Amino acid sequence: MRFTAGKLLHGLLLILGVTFLSFLLMVWFGPDQTYSLIGKNASAEEIASVRHQLGYDQPFFARYFEYLRELVTLDLGASNASGEAVRSLLARTLPVSLALMIPGFVLGNLLGIALGLAAAQHRGRWPDRLITGFSVSGMSLSFLVIIIALQALLCTPYGLDLFPVRGWRVDSFASYLQYATVPSLSLILVTLGYNTRFYRAVFIEEYGRDHIRTARAFGASTTEILWKHVLRNSLVPVITRFMFSIPLVVISGSLLIESYFGIPGIGLATFEAITSGDQPVLKAVVGLTAVAFVLLQAVTDTLYRLVDPRVT
Amino acid sequence: MKNPALSVRDLSVFIGDQAVVDRVSFDLYEGEVLALVGESGCGKTKTAEAIMGLLARDVKNRRTGSIRLGEQELMSMGEAEMRRIRGREISMVFQEPMTALDPVFSNGQQLAQQFRRHRGQSRSQARDSAAEMLTRVGIQDPERIMRSYPHQLSGGLRQRLIVAMAMACRPRVLIADEPTTALDVTTQAQVLEQMTKLGREIGTAILLITHDLGVVAQYGDRALIMRRGKLLENQPVKDLFAKPENPYTGSLIAAARELST
Amino acid sequence: MMAMARTFSRLRKDRSGLAGLSIVALFFLAAIAVWAGWLGQDWSAADGARWEGPGAAHWFGTNVLGQDIFERAVYSVRTAFEIGLVVALLSTVLGAVLGAVAGWRGDTWVDGAITWLKGVLDAIPFYLFVAAVAFALRGAPWAMHLAMVATFWTTTARLVRAEVLKIRSLDYVRSARAIGLPGVVILARHVLPNTTHILLVQGTIAFVAAIKTEVVLSFLGLGVQDGVSWGLMLAESTQEVLAGHFGNFIAASGMLFLLLLGLNLLADAMQDALDPKQAAL
Repeated sequence: MRFTAGKLLHGLLLILGVTFLSFLLMVWFGPDQTYSLIGKNASAEEIASVRHQLGYDQPFFARYFEYLRELVTLDLGASNASGEAVRSLLARTLPVSLALMIPGFVLGNLLGIALGLAAAQHRGRWPDRLITGFSVSGMSLSFLVIIIALQALLCTPYGLDLFPVRGWRVDSFASYLQYATVPSLSLILVTLGYNTRFYRAVFIEEYGRDHIRTARAFGASTTEILWKHVLRNSLVPVITRFMFSIPLVVISGSLLIESYFGIPGIGLATFEAITSGDQPVLKAVVGLTAVAFVLLQAVTDTLYRLVDPRVT
Repeated sequence: MKNPALSVRDLSVFIGDQAVVDRVSFDLYEGEVLALVGESGCGKTKTAEAIMGLLARDVKNRRTGSIRLGEQELMSMGEAEMRRIRGREISMVFQEPMTALDPVFSNGQQLAQQFRRHRGQSRSQARDSAAEMLTRVGIQDPERIMRSYPHQLSGGLRQRLIVAMAMACRPRVLIADEPTTALDVTTQAQVLEQMTKLGREIGTAILLITHDLGVVAQYGDRALIMRRGKLLENQPVKDLFAKPENPYTGSLIAAARELST
Repeated sequence: MMAMARTFSRLRKDRSGLAGLSIVALFFLAAIAVWAGWLGQDWSAADGARWEGPGAAHWFGTNVLGQDIFERAVYSVRTAFEIGLVVALLSTVLGAVLGAVAGWRGDTWVDGAITWLKGVLDAIPFYLFVAAVAFALRGAPWAMHLAMVATFWTTTARLVRAEVLKIRSLDYVRSARAIGLPGVVILARHVLPNTTHILLVQGTIAFVAAIKTEVVLSFLGLGVQDGVSWGLMLAESTQEVLAGHFGNFIAASGMLFLLLLGLNLLADAMQDALDPKQAAL
């Protein structure tokens, strides 16, 4: 119980830090929206009243605490740009992003595990060199390059022309496959290089451990060693990797993929909010991200406890 | 003289072109403790690995010669056959007990595994056999030990557990590679005592690899001295200390005496 | 010191590492040539027809404004190095300093504070943060650099902190403290040489990350504002490719890939030279 309290405090401090930093960047340094709401010829009184409405005349910490209060009570207000309630915006865009990013993210990791395992098992021989070669090449390709190349290859008459170039008109599983495949493929290709090399290192380390030698000496078969000993013991680093790459891959990735393919998910909404200074949306997204991150840590810790008897 | 449990003839291990084990020959008899002594790097461990078929699967590693376990010629066996023999007819115990056990399985599971894999026992049968085995290696409260995990045991206890695992299927040969070097002196005595006693009860031939002449004197029946891959001596322990045939042995003994005074 | 010597001797035997080094050296020379005014100076001259194909006058053809793609790609080498070097150097130094301070004063509030800061920065999704900073400081030519340095330092700091914690408890350090040497001197004289290899590897990785980030930022309109970079060229090419004009894309992506490959191979080789267990033989 004491342990959990410590973790809670830690998580709380983290959330405070993240929200503070984001508030600083996006709200305090963000664009001034006064003039986008009223024309150029507004009178001083009109300007003052709009600024008051937007809360611009409050001191720094007052605005910050107001921000925190809104987050906690989920009083997220409405988008400055479209007038839509932020809550409904989130409800609309979040499922799209999840449906878009999750398959690619999961597959990217599973493939990375498979390739990394193959490389580790044949360490030093040609399969390993081949896989490592591909993985380094993968790491040297920019996200953008992969997206453009895939688009050219799969969505244009210069290539296969099988998929739509952009957009998201999904009403069935078939149309989902149509619109999600190219983005998912790009996500997989981008992360595959990094994943493979990471998992390869993990498995090489595991295969080299003393208890594997013991298992062999006591007659364990290759399959047993693979599943019962190597994979089982690798769960901790695998879980760590999986969980902690979620912020980077899923959230940042969605920003890029959605902007490029014109998919109305939360990444695109966030980007538009950043560039137009739509503070209600930004506050909500940032707050959610921080909370999600802390939840992620909690889930990860629980998983560790389940998987490794040495963790108490 | 009865037939030897293990008979090694002209065993050589090559790494590339270099012979790290050079035409080693010896016999190992049921119930006896044969000590294999030498400095680090002399090829003791490679000999053991070669016998077990556990040499690293590198293109550079090669072994030649004959290794007979009773009637079976181990050199000509494929991996699948060797797997059936390992842990069952010939077992090996390693030096570092702190990392030798799988941390995610309970002690009981790891021990019972031997009974299930090599003796085909059911889960509950195996559990009972495991508990009994733990008592035989002198572990009190076997039930608690079986429920706990390796990281909860001391080095000495872990090594005793490993010895239990190694002896579970009453193997003909046990190779112990520096089994107590990583333990403190009192624990060393406990583990070696238990191991050799069990060996005599079951009739297991023990190849005890060590660099410690004190251990040789106390527990060994016969001794092999190895240096740079070659066997220099093969004698009963009494004779070895009284009249070493090889001057190298003499210098080892002298050095050991110096250290202990 | 010994670690460095050993590292370099192992490096020399690693073929892919040498290949990487040569590639990077080549690009570096090109960057210097551009900076000195010998190459790529006509990158903004719009003297060709629109979207000319590759030919004698323009090796990779021209873009929508009639500018020579090859010249632009070569000039971008300089842009890439400017961003890469600045970000790599600053983030590595910052990370080293903060990591050393945190490690040296481990278990005090200083360590706690720096670790907390690391956690916060790691929690924020990278591109979100960078986009936000770049936008908040828009107009300033160094907005992008600042954003990157602000996030890249954390990995270096973590590694340096670990090293310092290890070294702090070693005997020769304890005796140095016992005779009253100030922390800074001990850190500089004993700790720094032992962490140089970490810094080199991390610096190279930061270089790679910086270039890749610039590409994305330029695409989003938050990156390089004047001049030309591979990111801007790729951003241009997104529409062009759909219409069948591949010159921009091939030139930019090709050179980008080569430089990144060289850097990655170099970083790998340096990493392997430090930790032979991880080498792919």
